[in-house]
Parts: sequence; C-alpha cells; structure tokens
Amino acid sequence: MNWRKKLGEPAAYGYLLPALIPLALFWIAPMLYVVYLGFTDWDFMSPDKTWMGLENYRELLQNEDFYKSLRVTLLFGLGTVLPVMAGGLVLASLLQGKLRGKAIYQAIVFSPWITTTVAVSIVWSWIFEPRVGLANGVLRMLGFDGVEWLQSSVWALPAVIIVSVWQSMGWAMVFYLAALQQVPQDLKEAAAIDGAGRLRTFWNVTIPLISPTSFFLFIILWIQSFQAYDQISIMTQGGPAGSTRTLLYLYYQSAFERFDVGEASAVALVLVVLSAAFSLLSGWVSRRFVHYTN
Amino acid sequence: MRETALWVRPLRHLFLTALCSLIAFPFFWMITSSLKTNDEIWSVPPVLWPEEPLWGTFLAAWQAAPFGQYLLNSIMVAAVIVLLQMVNSAMMAYALTHMHFPFRGALFAIIIVTYMLPASATYLPAYVILSELNLIDTYAGLIISNAVSVFAIFLVRQAFLQLPKELAEAAKIDGAPHWRILWTIMVPLTRSTFVVMGLITFIGMYNNYFWPSLITKSPELYLVSAGLRSFFVEGGAYGMNWPLIMAGSTITILPLLILFLFAQRLLMKGVSLSFGVNK
Repeated sequence: MNWRKKLGEPAAYGYLLPALIPLALFWIAPMLYVVYLGFTDWDFMSPDKTWMGLENYRELLQNEDFYKSLRVTLLFGLGTVLPVMAGGLVLASLLQGKLRGKAIYQAIVFSPWITTTVAVSIVWSWIFEPRVGLANGVLRMLGFDGVEWLQSSVWALPAVIIVSVWQSMGWAMVFYLAALQQVPQDLKEAAAIDGAGRLRTFWNVTIPLISPTSFFLFIILWIQSFQAYDQISIMTQGGPAGSTRTLLYLYYQSAFERFDVGEASAVALVLVVLSAAFSLLSGWVSRRFVHYTN
Repeated sequence: MRETALWVRPLRHLFLTALCSLIAFPFFWMITSSLKTNDEIWSVPPVLWPEEPLWGTFLAAWQAAPFGQYLLNSIMVAAVIVLLQMVNSAMMAYALTHMHFPFRGALFAIIIVTYMLPASATYLPAYVILSELNLIDTYAGLIISNAVSVFAIFLVRQAFLQLPKELAEAAKIDGAPHWRILWTIMVPLTRSTFVVMGLITFIGMYNNYFWPSLITKSPELYLVSAGLRSFFVEGGAYGMNWPLIMAGSTITILPLLILFLFAQRLLMKGVSLSFGVNK
C-alpha cells in the first residue's frame, strides 16, 4: 500500500504530461544542453563534438568583441530602463483621476507596445533616414545639423534606444497607473495640510509609496533589455562597427551566422547568469530597501 | 484639500495631447508615407500629407508580397498555440493545485526557475533538438516548441488557488471525476484569466520574430514579421521603395490595432497582472 501512496494518483501523470513533455523538451533539456555545448567545439555539422573544457570561456574573456558587446548591452539597458520608468510615471500621473478622454490617451500611449516590433522598426528606420528622414528634418528645423543615425557608430545605439523607449513607456505606465491608484488619498491630503506643495507631496509621499512598483519595473526592464533583438535585427544588425551588437546579438551571430556553437553557448550562459543575477539581487534589495506598506 | 486652479485642467489636456501626438506620430508617418508619390517622399522639407493620396499603394503592397498568406499564417499559428497553452496549462495547474503526486514542490520550483530564465538562451539548443527531430521548417516544430508557457501555468495556478477550496471538494464528494471538476467548474470560473492570457499570448505569437525566423526557411511558411522583413530587404530593395514598405508595415500592424480597439481595457488589465514569456 505504501508504494501506491508514494506514487500518488496515477491520473495526475495524465494531467501533467501535456505540458511536461514540451517543457522538458524545449526548456529544461535545452538549458542543460547549452551548458554542455559551451564546453565543446561544434559547428552544427560535424558528427562529433570535441570536449574543450573551459576553452570557450577563456577565449570569450580574451575577446574584445565580447567586452564591447557587454558594454553595449549595459549602455542599452541604462538608456532604456530609467527613461521608460520616468516616462511611464509621468504619463501615469498625468492620466490619473477624473479626466475626459482618459481611455483614448491611455490607448494611444499603450499602442506601441502591442504593435509588431519588426514593422515599427522599419517605420523608424525610415524616420532615421539621414537625407530626408523626419528625425533629421526636426533637428534641422531646430537649427542643428542632421546626423547619420543608423549609419553612425555614435548615433545608432541612441536611435535603437529611442525606439525601445517609445515602445515600452506605455507598458510601464500601466503598472504605475495601478500603483498610483493605491496611494491613499488621505496621506496626500495630510501632506497638503502640512503645507507641502504638489511636487513636494509627489516626491515625499507618492514616490516612496510606489517604490515596490518602481523596483519591480527596474528589475523586469533590465531583464527585458537583455532580450532586445527584433529592433536591432531590423535597424542595424548589430552595426555599424558593432556599436549596437548586444550580447544577445553576438549570440545570434556566433550561433546562426558563424556557426560557432561553443562560443554562442558560452555567451548564452553569460546572459543567463546576468538575468539570474538581477532576479536574485531583486530578492535581496527588496528586503532591505524597498518600502512596503501594510 | 486645496482647490485645483482653473487653469490646471486645460493645461493637463494640452500636455497630454502634445505627448500623445508625439507618441502616435510614427503611426501617422507610416500611413502618410504609404500614400506619397516617390517625389513627395524624397522632398525636403518633408511633406506632411500628400497632395493626392495614392490609396492604391496598399493594393500594390498586398500584391507585391504574399501578405495575405503571411497574415493567415501568423493568425493560424498563434491561434493553435493559444489553444494548446490554454489546455495544457489548465491541466498542469489543476494537477499542481488539486492532485497528489511526488515531487510536486520540485516541479513547481523548476517552473519558477524556467520563468526567470531568458528564453533566447534556449534557442540554439532547442534548434538542435528540433533538427534532430526533423522538425525544422515545419509548423509542427514551431508549434510544439511553443506549446508550453510557464507564464500561462503560473497565471492559471494563481487563478485556481484563489477559488474556494470547498468548491472542488464538494464536487469530489458528489463523485465528479477530475476532468469534470476542471472543465466544468474551475475553468468557467476563471475564464477571465484565460481570456487575458489568450489575448497576450496571441499578440505575442502574432508579433513573434526571432524564434520563428530561425525555424521557418520556406517563404510560404513565414509568419508576418519574417515575411515583412524579407519584403523590406528584398522586395523593397532596402529603402528604394519606401511608400510600398510603409504600406506593408501598415498591413502588418492593422489586425492588431483593430484587436486593440475592441480589447483595450482587457489587455491593459492583463499586462498589469502579468507579462509574457514567449519563445
């Protein structure tokens, strides 16, 4: 009788398998497999994979492209995360409370998030066209010289960042809208009675109260920034001169353009470690610094 | 509380209108660029609205590349994936919350860890696995590799946990089998979770580019993102025919904008509950 109890209900297995089979085959096995591949030298073709030990990682650490990619990845993250949060918060504060046409404003702000990244990246490529594109048109109207945008190793990354911020701001806004609704009205009123102005109240009362949301967004947006691919693939393909080649794009190029499976797997592991570090950090920081009510 | 000054409200509208115009401008620019002649599109300073809008460009784009096929591909693949994910995540969530089996905690821990991992790290090994199974360049491969979503399991489990426990227990005492408890009690009671999850997954899959573009090699299997990209690179000859390319982009995002028009509230509520994990 005991073994039956241990095995549990036989029916449970039937309920687990439809999800468990693809989960094992396309999530769990690949995660283990990529760790293994990172220790080998393979090109997709040859029948056997040679064990290389830590060679791929050693090479990666001596590879200048890797450090450049790491830098681009962090710059891209820095350039997107904080502006997305700030933009989302400003929009949410403007769109709070009673307001005519609120739903329409919110829909417009949110719409870039649901639209196909490939399509909007093409549209932005046209906006960033150096000769007659809109971006340079606006710059010239303001009395500046136009820049080469996607063809310039200085301006390509900012261009990709602009598109990414534009796409995600509305998403962050939705979270801030929910958070702002939870801020108790009487706290704001109390601050007002104490003579605090609107901005002061916002800074000293609202901001600390919504810090759990800000913190959550900070972590998620960083992790998402490591995953940006579509806009880079369409607008710059990592160029010019690697100025927009993030770690993810380096991974794509080494795997599917140069067929260097070992290097690609090593880069993938670095990405996993980076994401995991942010997730773990989040647990630690939230216990220490984030202000939770009740 | 202090009275809000009279000028605050119009100022807020002014500010919001300016911001929203800025945010929506790329969409406006996409449409107006589709309608311009080649002279107008290359003119400096840019023309805001063409003298004679060339609505025929949309038809020309529709015929220049098999957009109808791409749209249909995307919609079909996304719909099948949504359906599969709904069924298997309901079943797994039910097992996790209402059935007894060994390593239940461990299984849930694995699901959480998978949830936090970057999906793209699996692309290379998953590609190798799919090619071992001879499923590269098939919809079977694309669909089964997307058939499970830890995000969906997570969300449905959460919804099931919020239902009162007595509900399933009472049904069990009445002799109802598991499948009936799941499909006629639990799922109908949590249908809003399924709707939200289905919508987010559908949109994510419709837009999906990275993974499908690795799996699909034959142009007739392209999902709309990959199709549009190949039109941009080859058919559109990399920026030589911008009106046509802009029309193609418009065609691609139009179904989503229509969907959004009807499901805005639901969708925005949905993302604040969750965020998608797609392959």
